[in-house]
Amino acid sequence: MARCPGLGWFLAAAAVLAVGIGLGPLVSPGAWAQSTTLAVQTTAEPPGLDLTATPASATATVVFYNIQEALVKVDAQGRLVPWLAERWHTTDNLNYTFFLKKGVRFHSGRELTADDVKFVLDRARNPETKHPHAKQYEDITTIHVRDPYTVTIALKRTNTMFLYNLARQGSVIYPREAVDQQKSQPVGTGPFMLERWDRGDRIVLKRNPEYHVKGLPKLERVTFRFIPDANAALAALQAGDIDVMAFGLGPESVEVVRRSPNLQLIQGETTNDVILALNNSKKPFSDVRVRRAITHAVDKPEVVKGAMFGLGRVLGSNIDPLNPYFVDMAKAVPHDVARAKQLLSEAGYPNGFEAVLRVTPQYSYTVRTGEVLVEQLAKAGIRVKLEQIEWGQWLERVYKNADYDMTIIGHAEAWDAGNYANPKYYYRYDSPRFQELFRESEATIDDKKRRELYVQLQKLMVEEAPVVWLYAYPRLVAAKKGVQGIWKDLPTLAMDLSEVSWAK
Amino acid sequence: MRRLILRRAVAFVATLFVVSLLVFTVVRILPGDPALLIMGTEASPEAAAALRRAMGLDRPILVQYVEWLGGALVGDLGRSIQYDVGVARLVVSRLAVTLPLTVLAALFMLLTAVPLGVYAATRQGRVGDYLAMLVSQLGIAIPSFWAGLLLILLFAVRLGWVQAGGFDGWAGGLWPGIRALLLPAFALGVIQAAILTRTTRAAVLEVLRADHVRTARAKGLAEGAVTWKHVVRNALLTIVTIVGLQLGQLLTGSIVLENVFYLPGLGRLALGAISARDLPVVQGVVLFVAVTVVTLNFVVDLLYTVLDPRIRYE
Repeated sequence: MARCPGLGWFLAAAAVLAVGIGLGPLVSPGAWAQSTTLAVQTTAEPPGLDLTATPASATATVVFYNIQEALVKVDAQGRLVPWLAERWHTTDNLNYTFFLKKGVRFHSGRELTADDVKFVLDRARNPETKHPHAKQYEDITTIHVRDPYTVTIALKRTNTMFLYNLARQGSVIYPREAVDQQKSQPVGTGPFMLERWDRGDRIVLKRNPEYHVKGLPKLERVTFRFIPDANAALAALQAGDIDVMAFGLGPESVEVVRRSPNLQLIQGETTNDVILALNNSKKPFSDVRVRRAITHAVDKPEVVKGAMFGLGRVLGSNIDPLNPYFVDMAKAVPHDVARAKQLLSEAGYPNGFEAVLRVTPQYSYTVRTGEVLVEQLAKAGIRVKLEQIEWGQWLERVYKNADYDMTIIGHAEAWDAGNYANPKYYYRYDSPRFQELFRESEATIDDKKRRELYVQLQKLMVEEAPVVWLYAYPRLVAAKKGVQGIWKDLPTLAMDLSEVSWAK
Repeated sequence: MRRLILRRAVAFVATLFVVSLLVFTVVRILPGDPALLIMGTEASPEAAAALRRAMGLDRPILVQYVEWLGGALVGDLGRSIQYDVGVARLVVSRLAVTLPLTVLAALFMLLTAVPLGVYAATRQGRVGDYLAMLVSQLGIAIPSFWAGLLLILLFAVRLGWVQAGGFDGWAGGLWPGIRALLLPAFALGVIQAAILTRTTRAAVLEVLRADHVRTARAKGLAEGAVTWKHVVRNALLTIVTIVGLQLGQLLTGSIVLENVFYLPGLGRLALGAISARDLPVVQGVVLFVAVTVVTLNFVVDLLYTVLDPRIRYE
């Protein structure tokens, strides 16, 4: 019998590997640790933690509501509620006086005062500071500090979005002396404080013992772990390494979560409108008949079924279902291939036309949706070539330079109808009627009248069809059983963990 | 020897210079703007333009390059746009994951492939050889990310022996650290081990046919002594060349595995930096990898003189 040196080595190595893995002590958190800590997966790592420097949803997920807060808050139902300001009043809709909640302390220990509010808003509207949404503060003329807890903000014209803008992530109140450390060490009034940021791996938050809402937060420690790969994240949840998979759970994996005895699925709505954007400045999309023809050619329920496993709500306009003025326009332009062909003929394209549809694999739903749309549009004679480009290139070519025919993307911001009133936005949609109507809606305080204007806006969107609204992306969260208090819907870009806890 | 080192040093510096120039230009020519990526789709274009100016990206490329090169020469690789920390510090912190991962994968590769390859060669045409070749064929055919996922499903999800991924640092001790890297190292090493098995087998087979082997056998040496002293020693020259190349591939292959196992290593740093257009980090990582690969090649060249005394560098 000949010796088998190689095989022996191989078996020995395999045995060492197997035994080694098996013998090591298991890293299992004890019962106590489990009840007060939470490991949350998110897909993208924040490009900096300064909410006043980046509108990235990755930054908002970690920082907004958890570390930093604003005067006003959008709650789980999408309502505006007083927060760092316990109340406000205005008599003329031009001068707003805010009364700050007393005894609110920053993580540094200092009390929040009206001077901080003035500093923060003055800085936001100063073009030098490069606030991503400086426009939202441009109607402010003066900010007057009356006493440490009272501040009056004067506007140059009525602006119905003013209070809502104060509730956005770019309006968080931070201590004025800590302005330069926001990018990597943000300080705020939130339920959690930043403990550490291991670049490329995780951000750890710890409980703020002096939080201004009694009894909150319920957790001692929260760890955000950045796991971009959806399969890896799901495996980590199944293996028990993380407790919540907050983003990136694909619709294809929903069944796995539903069938898993240790996991729960949280399914709700978001403000993320997935659209087929059309370049309105380019032929043939500059013709409203062509845009309407494309809308008729798209079978939206089929898109949701084919690309999203039936999850996601069909949209008819850009006003999402979480908006109080939402009108269901999903059936306003029915799927009708014959009508689409007829409109194309009228527009001078009896044989259809060719176009390129740019999608970005960074967001896999855009690719899947694009594949379904190519098939559907072909039936109306529109020959579409699907082109995948990387996210950085998409931002540069499509978003910044409007170098495209068609593209698919989700717009996550709430209250973003203003994009259609901006002819420079990458849709290049320039409709004086829409712009006028939108301006009017911004200046109308009366809720009934404003609602009427929003109904008109939605009708006009359907009529002029600047883009094709496809579906609202569903909120899909997978969590271990026992985790409670996670918001069902996502009316704003935040992941509020203050009320999250483990069931006893 | 001194002349060799001098010549190598000159080549080393020249290589790095070319690499730095190349990577600096390429990342700037690529469409994609770091300011836009930070601002995303919701910010105003004015804000993005202001940020670009503040980052100094609106200046001529040559000015930016000279400034960066000047810094790099004194060890300052710049600051990460995304992370707001020094690039050199970032690279060093990521090495704490990638280096052990690569070393473990290399150990796994060497300890399985070389013995298996030698074994297969000595049993050429018999069952053991076919089995070894079948296993190595499988190893080449399985993509490393897929092997990684399968390993996670089996060892982490089903058996619960190890965590599904992630790395908690070395502060918790040596063994927990190594344990977290075992699966990814295995997944990373499989393909390279399979390749090395086949190369080793071929190299050994070739030497087995040489005259001196027949002589060794003729003078009555035991088969084991013939194999290890006369055959493997001579085959090592080929093996070392391949291993040198493979070490570089392990380093780059870790990019994929670090994503599957979400390890905070150099590969994930590079990938994230490219998609975020974090230019200083991309430049820093590429420069570091270039230094490593050039150094590895140098070591391999030196090893030749040890393995084969006939090779002299004049």
